[in-house]
Amino acid sequence: MKRFGQMFMQFLPIDPEKSSDEVNRGESYAHFKRMLFLIMLLIAMVPVAVTAGIGYFQYRNLLLSEEHDQLLWRLDGAQKTIDAFIGGLQSLVKFVAREDRYSALLEKDKLQLLFDRLKEQYDGFVDLGIVDAKGIQRSYVGPYDLEGRDYSNQEWFHEVLIKNVYISNVYLGFRQVPHFVIAVVETIPGTNDYWILRATINADTLQKFVATIQTKATNDMFLVNSAGQLQTSSKSYGAVLSRYDKPTNEDGVALYGESRGNSIFHASSVLKNTPWTLVLTEQDYVHKEEWASFKQRLILIFAGSTLVIVLIISPLVSILTDRIRASDEKQLSLLAEAEHSNKLASIGRLAAGVAHEINNPLAIISQKSGLIEDLLGLTPPFEYSDKMRKTLTGIQDSVVRCKNITHRLLGFARRMEVTIEEIDLNQVVREVITFLENESLHNRIQVQTILEDQLPHIRSDRGQIQQILLNITNNAIDAVVYDGIIQITTVSRSESVQIKIKDNGPGMPPAVLEHIFEPFFTTKAQGKGTGLGLSITYGLIKKLGGSIVVDSTVGEGTIFTINLPYTPPHIEESNHEHNNADTDS
Amino acid sequence: MSTTMQILIVDDEVEFASTLVERLALRGIAARSANRGLDALALVRVKIPDVVILDLKMPDMSGLEVLASIKSIDPTIEIIILTGHGSAAAGIDGMEQGAFDYMMKPVDLTALLAKIEQAYRKRKVAA
Repeated sequence: MKRFGQMFMQFLPIDPEKSSDEVNRGESYAHFKRMLFLIMLLIAMVPVAVTAGIGYFQYRNLLLSEEHDQLLWRLDGAQKTIDAFIGGLQSLVKFVAREDRYSALLEKDKLQLLFDRLKEQYDGFVDLGIVDAKGIQRSYVGPYDLEGRDYSNQEWFHEVLIKNVYISNVYLGFRQVPHFVIAVVETIPGTNDYWILRATINADTLQKFVATIQTKATNDMFLVNSAGQLQTSSKSYGAVLSRYDKPTNEDGVALYGESRGNSIFHASSVLKNTPWTLVLTEQDYVHKEEWASFKQRLILIFAGSTLVIVLIISPLVSILTDRIRASDEKQLSLLAEAEHSNKLASIGRLAAGVAHEINNPLAIISQKSGLIEDLLGLTPPFEYSDKMRKTLTGIQDSVVRCKNITHRLLGFARRMEVTIEEIDLNQVVREVITFLENESLHNRIQVQTILEDQLPHIRSDRGQIQQILLNITNNAIDAVVYDGIIQITTVSRSESVQIKIKDNGPGMPPAVLEHIFEPFFTTKAQGKGTGLGLSITYGLIKKLGGSIVVDSTVGEGTIFTINLPYTPPHIEESNHEHNNADTDS
Repeated sequence: MSTTMQILIVDDEVEFASTLVERLALRGIAARSANRGLDALALVRVKIPDVVILDLKMPDMSGLEVLASIKSIDPTIEIIILTGHGSAAAGIDGMEQGAFDYMMKPVDLTALLAKIEQAYRKRKVAA
């Protein structure tokens, strides 16, 4: 499980904190998206593919087995028919060779008569002969002169003696016409002696018979002997006595793949009491059409499922990746924000510490210069007394300037308890606008308000919020100079009330925005601002549990967005500190 | 401003305290200075001042301790906290312990004199 987890982690994007490069991060998300897509596709497709595969093979086996059964059934029918035919021939020959006929049939006339009758029954009879126990052909009717011929050393002669009935392979013999022999043995009445009736039958007879029971044009049915020689002609293997290369000595069905997708069934059945095996081959499946339509449907279903899966997975993966990316980015921006506010806090502490240290020497300078001034007042005028007085005033003015800076840095000039009360922010906004009315009228600046009706009241410190709004609005007035528009919007949100102060001033580049809340950072002309206003504002808002965000575009203007919670967080003792009306930055 | 008014300046910054004493003297106000808490208490015992200008940070004891000690000697002595160190919270603590008010260094002498006058008046009313 752990290993799997690690494996999975490899697909995850690089830790967003470590990857500072925007392009790299984008690539790693693209990689993650691809891997997620592949994994989900795999998870969804494997069962579909397995099901389709099982269906395919099951149905194929079902069809094959049915095919197999049908073939066997047909083979069985054909075999019975051929058995009956051969049985008929045998019976006929047997009937002719009744035991009492031997002496009669030795007479050629009678044999000729019998032969003629047989030929009436079966045109295929070629000749008929009587062979005695020594193997000598004693009587013969037929197209050849075979009387007196000695068969004693021929194989069929021995076979027939053992089996009583003998059917030979089809062979050409010296006649060069395919034929086969049926021979039967009979005893001579009153003796232990026996005789043999031997009938030669044209192989055509067999051929014609097989042709009549062949059912389908696509099938091939033929007889073959144990040596693999065709006994009747075959569509696939050629004329009589051609080679058949498949095993023939057993019953059953075999499937031979002769070409791709076109396997051929060979069903064979050994015919009893003959040297022959009946073979039935089937080139096309009986269910070929069903099989094809099944395959087509299977492919359609598979392709359809794949399409549906892809259609579902694609947007899902996109959504997931986007969510993860958004959450990573949010985390990053939160980290950056936390870093920023930490930095601001450190700078603030440092500045306050420095201010404290400077206050004491500043007090000494102030008192010493005051003393000189006092003494100067007690001394009669002398050459440089006026110049000295001016100089002292310069020192005193500088002390006042320094004092203003240190007091603002310490954020404490006027004693005031933090008083939490219910505040209508719309009311506070209107008050602040009244404070700034003279200045804005003087600069022909329009201050517009879009205040939400029935804005929920919040619990906070009225004086501090006034301070905050004054600082930012005053900055906006400084920014737009003449004929500008300042828009103040209030809107309630789920956990806070939002105030937006928007101006159409020159805006600020990112390099300035980055430092805007740092103490002593100012873009105003030297002496016009201490760079503390926004720093103090930032501190005040944090103290009240709120947040401030600045958004600015050069040439378009700046928007300060302040969110103040409905109720402030726990106010600490340090909140006794309060800020004076600091309106520059 | 009464000429009988007695001021004690308690500040570890010697230059600051002595200069302030001098400037007050030029204005006819009797002022003494101490640079350590214990010295301040000794001076208070020698002669009860009307108003004490007290720094919050001293090498031997904190301003608030000095404040408490002075108040224990004579609770009617008015104390103005004047500090460059310390936070507003400390100032407020001081006021809770009976300081008349608190001011931030550097302070304008006129403003300080006004505050002293108020404190002195309050003491006179109380006495």
